[in-house]
Amino acid sequence: MKWHIALGIVSMVAVIDVLSGIAITEQDRMESYTDSYQSRQIEFGALLFENNCRSCHGPQGKGIESVGPAINAADLFNGDRLRSFDFTGTVEDYLKGVISAGRPIPSQGSTYPQRMPTWGAENGGPLRTDEIEALVLFTMNWEKVALAGEDGGTISPPSGDFIGTDITISLPPGDVDRGQDLSDGALGCSSCHVFSAVGPVWPSEGLAHAVGTRAVERIEQSDYNGNATSPEQYLIESVVLAELYVVEAFQAGVMPVYYSERITLQDMADLLAYMLSIP
Amino acid sequence: MALFEVHIPILDDIKEKGLIPTLKDTTDDVVERITSGLRIADVRSALRDDPPGRPNPRLKPHSEGFWLHMRPTYYNKLVDGVYPTFRLGWLSTFFFVVEIITGVFLMFYYTPSPLVAYENMLNILSNVPFGRLMRDLHKLGAEIMVAVVLLHMLRTFLTGSYKKPRQFTWITGIVLLGATLVLSFSGYLFPWDQLSLWAVTIGASMAEAAPPEVVGRTLNLIVRGAPEFGANGLLRFYLAHVVGLPLVAIIAFGVHYYKVILHGHSLPPDNEEVGVDTAKKVPMNTRTYFMPKILTRELYYVAILTAILVIWATFAFHAPLEPHADPLVTPLHTTAPWYFLWLQGLLKLGDKVIFGIVIPTIVTGVLFVFPYIEVGPSRRYGHRRIGLTAGVLSVAGFVILSYMGTPWYGVDTSPEQEAIATLLPQTHPGPIRLADWNELDIGTYEATNWEEAPSETLQELLHTFSEEISVAEYGTRTAWEGIMIVEDWQTSLKKITLRVLWIDSATGNPGEFSESEYIHQFSDYGQGE
Repeated sequence: MKWHIALGIVSMVAVIDVLSGIAITEQDRMESYTDSYQSRQIEFGALLFENNCRSCHGPQGKGIESVGPAINAADLFNGDRLRSFDFTGTVEDYLKGVISAGRPIPSQGSTYPQRMPTWGAENGGPLRTDEIEALVLFTMNWEKVALAGEDGGTISPPSGDFIGTDITISLPPGDVDRGQDLSDGALGCSSCHVFSAVGPVWPSEGLAHAVGTRAVERIEQSDYNGNATSPEQYLIESVVLAELYVVEAFQAGVMPVYYSERITLQDMADLLAYMLSIP
Repeated sequence: MALFEVHIPILDDIKEKGLIPTLKDTTDDVVERITSGLRIADVRSALRDDPPGRPNPRLKPHSEGFWLHMRPTYYNKLVDGVYPTFRLGWLSTFFFVVEIITGVFLMFYYTPSPLVAYENMLNILSNVPFGRLMRDLHKLGAEIMVAVVLLHMLRTFLTGSYKKPRQFTWITGIVLLGATLVLSFSGYLFPWDQLSLWAVTIGASMAEAAPPEVVGRTLNLIVRGAPEFGANGLLRFYLAHVVGLPLVAIIAFGVHYYKVILHGHSLPPDNEEVGVDTAKKVPMNTRTYFMPKILTRELYYVAILTAILVIWATFAFHAPLEPHADPLVTPLHTTAPWYFLWLQGLLKLGDKVIFGIVIPTIVTGVLFVFPYIEVGPSRRYGHRRIGLTAGVLSVAGFVILSYMGTPWYGVDTSPEQEAIATLLPQTHPGPIRLADWNELDIGTYEATNWEEAPSETLQELLHTFSEEISVAEYGTRTAWEGIMIVEDWQTSLKKITLRVLWIDSATGNPGEFSESEYIHQFSDYGQGE
């Protein structure tokens, strides 16, 4: 019995020691847990961004002309943007509010034809509060890079001869790779036509053909009301006269209408070459 | 004449006997009251393990006190140690008390609503001192308690201690087993993470399978409070876990333990004549008295087990917290908790009704009823070969069914999903998330060229990937290839894309499947999740 008592006392002392050890390190542990949880939220936010936000704000948040503003931008994090409309909260507050509530009417002075959707569940949207927080944390993670000034701001239009709205115009020879770069980057076509299905998807999918082959079929359709007589003309028409003919099951007013005054002849030629090369 | 008299007895005593003797006597009285019958001298003699003298004052706390009223005053020497019972019944009670204490602590910081449950868990883990320890102790205690209760049942079966007159003790034991399992299962839901929601959904969906359809639907609504788990279900499970089941358990425990004491603890079968239950008659020379031996031993067990649990929960065992519950996304390879894996295995055998409802009901029925059917008079192992064989085979059956409940059996996933799930599993962190972030160099890597990867971590990951790809077989697909792309995505954030490519030899068409995940430098998954 004596060793029962002795071992029992040793155990109690061990427990007290361990608990004291925990008491000393608990503050640090809790802080590091918070940090690691926020890091995981950033990962989660990245996934949510890819699935919900990329089609309008671009893959790296650099914005898409006439679709969505840049959020990976210095003016957001240094306060200029918030000051321009007298917002008095922090950047996190602003982001939380905008993502959760959306924008029922477009911001004053902006040229975005689509409104920012409502995402927060408390406002009727599809995302939970913790998902909104994840997106905010993910966006804030751009702060360092944005403030460092690497390509800040929404992509500005190139200068030069714009293509205009004449779809019969003859184009110079196009470069497929440059066309792909334009689509994935500055012009942002891939966000809606390759990486997501906001607009008709360019690559072939299941039984549907790629955009080049579909263009041939499209101009033969009975509901086609445009003026193209060849697939190339049809594709040019889709870009520069977006409102003329909208493919069935897609919404009008989503494809930006400014490309006739934003794309040069060479840009269009490269883009066309890329579109026709997609398998 | 004085208006009233002040009567202070202790002052009279001091006047009569002197200060020190009075204090001694008062202390003696207080000790006697607290211990329900032992004076200081008796306590000291018990601690010294002296022979007690007559009448034995150490029996008074049992007959006059509340706390020991149901504890036996003596045990038979044959059953007073770790063997042959392994003290499993005592251990079950110990863990129940541990769960109550840690559970009440957690209740202070938890609200059973899907809107805040997950947030509460984060609060407990990151904002409440000792919160993580309490939660880990609670989960550890729960897992061990289920195991201990099952082992206790096995021991009782093996020693034939369910036979007359102890049949009803066995029945209350099965009730306690059911309460323990449902307590553990209901508690699983509270963190409201992916593991909670889906593991419990698997279990509760069997209620829905009960025939006829109207019964199944009603049962499902009773269990979940709604067609699917949500606010109602969480509240119901909370009330069951915190109020309903503890009440059932305490009542069943009362009856159970009372009957154990009433009939006396059963002796090892070889020490009894066949058909004679001598547990109640303990000759003087085979007695171990509760005070001091058993009491000291039990306090010692408490101290040792507390130390083991606290050390285990501090340094090794950590309860997981997965991402927030998402009713629209089922993680690949979700499983039920380990004590229900056998059910999941059964379900893989065929019809939901037969294997999910009928067979488990039969099993439960048999467990309840067999002490009244198996009425052979002898508890000796040699006389119960058939029964013992049946028991061992049942245990083996449950183990095999549990294996069948794991994702390694009977789950048909395409090899590309399996390959990617090995590196990026959906139910736990997995190799990529646990790897050293700094060693995940940016670039594109082919699985077959794993030896040329720039860092050891990448080599290991790609090696695992290429091994999975090399055994891939699916219909007419050939020329399997695996690619891993690591991109620098954001500050301290990398994007990992795993892509599996193949060529369909029948049509010549290529195919691909890919999955991406983002890994942050400081997400620190190695905390036991």
